[in-house]
Amino acid sequence: MATVAPPVPSATSPQRGVQPLRAGQGNSFLWRKLHSLSGIIPIGAFLVEHIISNFETWNGPLAYAKQVVFLNSLPLVRVLEWAFIFIPLAFHALYGVFIAFRGRSNVNVYPWAGNWMYLSQRVTGLIALAYIVQHVWRQRFSGVMLPEHPGAAFAKVQHELSNPWMLAIYVIAMIATTWHFSYGIWLFAAKWGITPGNRARKRFGYVCAALGIALCLMGLASIYAVVYKYPNAPENVLPETPAALVQPAAATPAASLTRSLTVTPLTTQSQPRSTPQS
Amino acid sequence: MPRTIKVEIKRQSNPDAPVVTEKFEIPYRPNMNITSLLGEIACNPITADGKTTAPIAYDSNCLEEICGSCAMLINGKARMACSALVDKLQAGNPDEPITLAPLSKFPVVRDLSVDRSVLFQNLKAVKAWVPIDGTYDLGAAPRQFPQIQEERYPLSNCISCTICMEVCPQFNDSTNFVGAATIAQVKLFNMDPAGSVLKEERLRALAGDGGVQECGFAQNCVEACPKQLPLTEAISDVTREVIVQQVKDFFTR
Repeated sequence: MATVAPPVPSATSPQRGVQPLRAGQGNSFLWRKLHSLSGIIPIGAFLVEHIISNFETWNGPLAYAKQVVFLNSLPLVRVLEWAFIFIPLAFHALYGVFIAFRGRSNVNVYPWAGNWMYLSQRVTGLIALAYIVQHVWRQRFSGVMLPEHPGAAFAKVQHELSNPWMLAIYVIAMIATTWHFSYGIWLFAAKWGITPGNRARKRFGYVCAALGIALCLMGLASIYAVVYKYPNAPENVLPETPAALVQPAAATPAASLTRSLTVTPLTTQSQPRSTPQS
Repeated sequence: MPRTIKVEIKRQSNPDAPVVTEKFEIPYRPNMNITSLLGEIACNPITADGKTTAPIAYDSNCLEEICGSCAMLINGKARMACSALVDKLQAGNPDEPITLAPLSKFPVVRDLSVDRSVLFQNLKAVKAWVPIDGTYDLGAAPRQFPQIQEERYPLSNCISCTICMEVCPQFNDSTNFVGAATIAQVKLFNMDPAGSVLKEERLRALAGDGGVQECGFAQNCVEACPKQLPLTEAISDVTREVIVQQVKDFFTR
């Protein structure tokens, strides 16, 4: 007998429209949850640290320089920088762009608060990414190297913000980044099942809004301090003592480093408009 | 001149046919809904410019927002045709035409009728049922406490209309997200004393590509749901359980 199989619908015949769930298949759950988690720890934690550190600009160039010295004195600081800032940030950013461009925003049809926030999270994320790329390049990897010259930190930022366009970019990016972070915490709690109830979500919304506004105001105050509060900051408030680290036997250069850390505040504060030192 | 209701309907005669818009003017009657409006057109399928046309194809059954079949885009927004009242739609501007279109995220079968079988496939993928095959007597069902009943009841109101999926920015052919309705049904059946035997399988299914992780928490689903299901709460609760299950599986399987 002929055993011709009846025509069966091909397994590859495409079903139109949105495809059904691929139950239990793929790794997108892991990647998506890592993206969500990395936004809180370590990136969000770093953002808080960064804004608090930058707030030292309120106390002047020397206080800021000391903060830079402190951060660069952390053990394994370059490892910390790559493992807890650059790599997670790059992952969060790239996967975030992938997420953003797979969504189909429809606020034009359904202009509801949550829908606007959905769109805002994607827009602020893209703004933050564009800003962070130039910020990391211009402030971390080009110009004066701050890990080696921490005393130049204040002046470096001040020169950057002397351009009114750059100042506008920093203000916009500060708002976008703190917005993205504070709504991100709210989303994290909602999506990980920490705040399932409507009232819990609403209450936590106020907490996140307060945190976001506080961080944003601290950041804007830091920008104000750099641009307006301490104009004409010295180029380097911790003058270089290159011999200090290579000649431990010589007592005087080391002493001068200590002195520059402790004594210079008096001189810089009494002469805030002194000419740049180097 | 007696008042008329102007209607503009996006039509296509088969899945591959070009989309055309036809205009109709229906004599006004008070208290009409969109399904009765479509019924009037079926009685007298003549367009506003006097051309005889085919009656509009659309899905409907119960006419009281309980079967879930008549979801469509009414003035651009996804809602049930049976509970969309003409007088309310036209309140303030009775001369403004009402626009009708098929749901935009499901393949069109004809006119306003779309193929929503992806929801049925998703419900099957998460085993949204109580596994009782009915071949022998299982005895009395396990006791269900009223507190559990009260939490489950709102979820059992789902009418599978797919409006939560239509309005979701994440439900599209790029993410192939499963949608809020299926996730809510997972919570419903996981909370059933007999249905909970499949709980782990459902949670593992929802961790697959297109699962709970694709939710962007825009919350359109819960705004648009005609039956007011607590969809965001269900997504939040189920996602937590999926995460716990994944961590548990990672260390113990």
